[in-house]
Amino acid sequence: MTARSAAFALLAFFVATFIFFCVAAPRFATASNMENLMSGFSFVAILAIGQSFPILLRGIDLSVGAIVALAGMIVFDLELIFHLPGWLILPIALVAATLAGALNGWLVVKLKLQPFIATLATLAAYRGLVYSISGRQLVPGLSTTPIRDPWITGLETYFDFGSLLGISDWVTLPWVPLSFFIMLVVLAAFHFLLGSTRFGRSLYTVGGNPEAARLAGIDTARVTLAGYAVSGFCAGLAAILLVARLTTATEALGTGMEMSAIAAAVIGGVSLSGGIGSVVGPVIGAFLLGTILIGLTLLGISQYVQQILTGAILVAAVGYDRILDLRRRRRLVANLAEETHA
Amino acid sequence: MTTPLIRGRGLGRIYGALTALADADFEVMPGEVRGLVGSNGAGKSTLVKILTGAVEPTSGTVEIMGEPVKLGDPSEMIRRGVACIYQHSNLAPAMSVMDNVFLGRQPVGRFGRIDKKKLEADTRALMAKHGMAIDPLATVGNLPTVKQKEVEILKALALEARVLLMDEPTGWLSAADVARLHQTIRTLRASGVAIVYISHMLDEIFSVCDTVTVMRDGRVIAECGIAEVRRARLVELMVGEKLARDSAAAASVARRPGGTGEIRLAVRDLSKKGVFRDISFDLHAGEILCLTGLIGSKRTELMRVIFGADRADGGSMTVAGQTVDFHSPGAAMAAGIGFVPEDRHRDGLMLGLSMTDNLIMSTIPQVCRSIFLDRSRVAATAKRLVADLAIQPPDVNKPARLFSGGNQQKILVGKWLNLGPKILILDEPTVGVDVGAKAEIYGILRAQRDAGAAILVVSSDLEEVTTVADRIAVMVSGRMVGIHDADAIDRSRLIEEIGGVA
Amino acid sequence: MIASVPALGRRLAPHALPLAMLVIIIAFAVSEPAFLKPDNLIGIVRQVAITGIMAVGMTFVIMTGGIDLSVGPVLALSGVIALFSLDAGVPLPLSIVAGLSVGLVVGLLNGFIVARLELPPIIVTLAMLSMVRGSALLIGGPDLHPIRGHEAYAAIGSGDFLGLPISVHLFAAVTVLMVLVQKLTPLGLLVAAIGENERAARLSGHRTRLTKMALYAICGVGAAIAGIVQSSQVHTASAVYGEFGTELDVIASVVLGGTSLMGGNGSIARTILGVMFLGIINNGMNILNVPIDIQLIAKGVIIAVSLALSEWRA
Repeated sequence: MTARSAAFALLAFFVATFIFFCVAAPRFATASNMENLMSGFSFVAILAIGQSFPILLRGIDLSVGAIVALAGMIVFDLELIFHLPGWLILPIALVAATLAGALNGWLVVKLKLQPFIATLATLAAYRGLVYSISGRQLVPGLSTTPIRDPWITGLETYFDFGSLLGISDWVTLPWVPLSFFIMLVVLAAFHFLLGSTRFGRSLYTVGGNPEAARLAGIDTARVTLAGYAVSGFCAGLAAILLVARLTTATEALGTGMEMSAIAAAVIGGVSLSGGIGSVVGPVIGAFLLGTILIGLTLLGISQYVQQILTGAILVAAVGYDRILDLRRRRRLVANLAEETHA
Repeated sequence: MTTPLIRGRGLGRIYGALTALADADFEVMPGEVRGLVGSNGAGKSTLVKILTGAVEPTSGTVEIMGEPVKLGDPSEMIRRGVACIYQHSNLAPAMSVMDNVFLGRQPVGRFGRIDKKKLEADTRALMAKHGMAIDPLATVGNLPTVKQKEVEILKALALEARVLLMDEPTGWLSAADVARLHQTIRTLRASGVAIVYISHMLDEIFSVCDTVTVMRDGRVIAECGIAEVRRARLVELMVGEKLARDSAAAASVARRPGGTGEIRLAVRDLSKKGVFRDISFDLHAGEILCLTGLIGSKRTELMRVIFGADRADGGSMTVAGQTVDFHSPGAAMAAGIGFVPEDRHRDGLMLGLSMTDNLIMSTIPQVCRSIFLDRSRVAATAKRLVADLAIQPPDVNKPARLFSGGNQQKILVGKWLNLGPKILILDEPTVGVDVGAKAEIYGILRAQRDAGAAILVVSSDLEEVTTVADRIAVMVSGRMVGIHDADAIDRSRLIEEIGGVA
Repeated sequence: MIASVPALGRRLAPHALPLAMLVIIIAFAVSEPAFLKPDNLIGIVRQVAITGIMAVGMTFVIMTGGIDLSVGPVLALSGVIALFSLDAGVPLPLSIVAGLSVGLVVGLLNGFIVARLELPPIIVTLAMLSMVRGSALLIGGPDLHPIRGHEAYAAIGSGDFLGLPISVHLFAAVTVLMVLVQKLTPLGLLVAAIGENERAARLSGHRTRLTKMALYAICGVGAAIAGIVQSSQVHTASAVYGEFGTELDVIASVVLGGTSLMGGNGSIARTILGVMFLGIINNGMNILNVPIDIQLIAKGVIIAVSLALSEWRA
């Protein structure tokens, strides 16, 4: 009930921001700009969906940017050095990214490291690994060779619904990128996983009350490991979409993306105190972030200022999360009367 | 003779240098309600945790229906039909009642999808069977505490538990709810469930249990049918005979209602929206005023406002005739108020710091020379307090974590004594403290009173209130309903007043 | 008496870091005798001075259960501000003060948001990282700004005094000062108390929020000092200095020194051990020509292992 109203509030805020830029920024409400927004932030939305899992588990994954780079470089190497077919490369890259995420989970579960320090350490390690395996360094001259495999570049396809519906003569509808649909599929799948399966319910319990989960016989270690693996998987998928778009990969791919992903997830109502939130919110959060950043660019604001604003938005989002959390706790206190064991 | 449903043999658990449980034998028959009693630290919790699989014992075996089981694995115990209702909530507050009741075992359909209709129907059926009525779709965090407790019981019942462990299950419940819970226990007993009932409330033990096991210092020291033992004997067994005599003797000390007559703290019409309102009372120098009431009567909240940890919305306070308005604990301390909070681990002690550091924590300026800590003054202060309070062992450099509950509580009291408090507030000062340390703490409070301090004790324990108080104040639902001289009110009237009977 | 292996491990665990350092020093010295030359040893201290100053500043923050991810950009911005002030004709002491005030302001802001608004320090300082980097780039652009004609300023990073680099003196001075603060003043005790139990510290009458704000300010100033040392050492200031990974080195040093990320236990003196440990490893790997990517991976592994060890110890 309250979760739903929070989601509506977020949606309303998104629509309001969107309308604001339509009016204020001259070239915002154009078909090509909508294409930019959809293709440029679908992968952020996917990263945000992935990031929701560690955060629901009271953790965080700072390594997603590095996993993006790692998966991207694996695609690059397999394609340009080993000349594997695209249909084989994609699953390999996804598995590698999922394993990288699972390793984060392993560090958290088995070595009992704090999630942020574990993923900060793997951030460095994965980024280092990217340099080690970089085909750009190993094979001179490859850095200017684009990736041409249709399995990969085919992901960067746009659908012209305007012509399909035969209305392109009257209105210019934006062409919708395939990545947007992939994002929707990921959203639907993980929404189902969280909301309607035992695993999902268990995950909420592990995040909301780990002791209760353990005593209910839930294998908290496995759930946690799986949560971080999901984050890795999403980073891998985002990497593939990015490589398809850029037709290459660099060592710096995904730098700083953990921040957008965390911001989108928190804006989307996934609480840092664990166990509260959905994956729909983070997707709206990602496109809200995109709308603001693209809108500001069109208003001619420097990219450095945008960097400042991204930080400010992140602080505002956690501030809002904090207010909601305090409100929840106050309700709990009212119920629990004299003592709180929150 | 039938085999016991659950039987533990030679169970032991050692934590570092501490033996929490030693060579304990324990068994429960089908259809038996076995009380488990003992003072804090007697090893009850450790035993229960071993039986639920939350803790792996360092020695011993457990058999369920004659079969040995793997220990230290909660899911194994659940599978074997051992369920536990804990003192503190083990629910996921953001999830629905039905999700909580069938946590991790929800019925699933295709693609692993949870069958929500069946889940709801199962939950309703279970509630109907045990005469409970809660909306299965309600979010647990939004339910009142009593209902949350029922959800926990349902959760255990949903497991079709054959062994049900209840660790202080009535801590949050009113008398009517306790009676209802006991009715449920009798129903379960009739159906052959074995129940272990842990409680400090001997009334409850005598009301619902068939047999009782007494533990002390990590050992099982007695087992008998409830009909074979008298109440006083049970207390003696729990605390040891000498301590029982001491605490009885300590109770008969002269009371001093009104103290020296000097009003130390005057509270007038103090209100905090939605919490308490129109609180007025006087606290005199040289008296102990006990503030009692049910859990939820907002006593702790009132204390926090008086100490400046929270702000009031209205009303006024004077300390020794001066009007005050504390915006922080520091300001209250400057006016000579000390506060020993209820939860010593959460709000009181720095567990990892040494006893010395804890003892000087509220009086750092006293042990400083210019901007530096003066080591010799620190050591002298600690030594003096340890001697005054008879803290055992007197090892000032040992971390607070390693002291027993009673000595930890003494450290907390000592921290404020060093301030030379004009007013000392103690919130539930003897929770989780054994009888011996209890008597010592009462002695310290009386000594402070006789030295002229004004002492305000919040307590839910009527035994304690009638033992230590010079005057007794009663709060009901955020209002002060009466203040009495301790000798002028008898126990039954006090209970009526606490329960809100006009 | 035969001690069991776990018991032996428990006994040795508190000394694991010095022992590991000893082993590594011997290994490096055997494989490359030049390692033990005084010049190289002084070089190591000089190399770690920048990270070390930041680590000393961050120890208290981590002891209170906090963290500061924003030290990298603060380092960059303070160097840029100090240089721009010098170029604008501001006298040297005032320019340094201007650079340091960057750290003070950012630290106070971090502290205010963390202590007063009670937002999680990881996220707050991650956001601050982005904001300070953006500000630095806005002011300084992505270019390197060479320092020309400011001999006195350049001497901070590259000059010598009594046969030792001035940056080493500075590092030592900051360390000694903070060790004294921790050992001899109420602030040191208060930091430990807040880390152990913040609620109890407040109920003992301490101004915990103000204290935490001060600790973040100290951390910020530490990063600003490091920024001035760095820019004067390489004779350039740039908004891109203190790149991602700087804060990782700093945190790693503190954690290697045995300070728990959960707060509580911690010591400035042991942080220095952690700094030296990382410094020796870096130096050794450089001498042995280990490529930079392996160094990154090794660092990640070392942090993970040392943290896991400290968890096991507890």
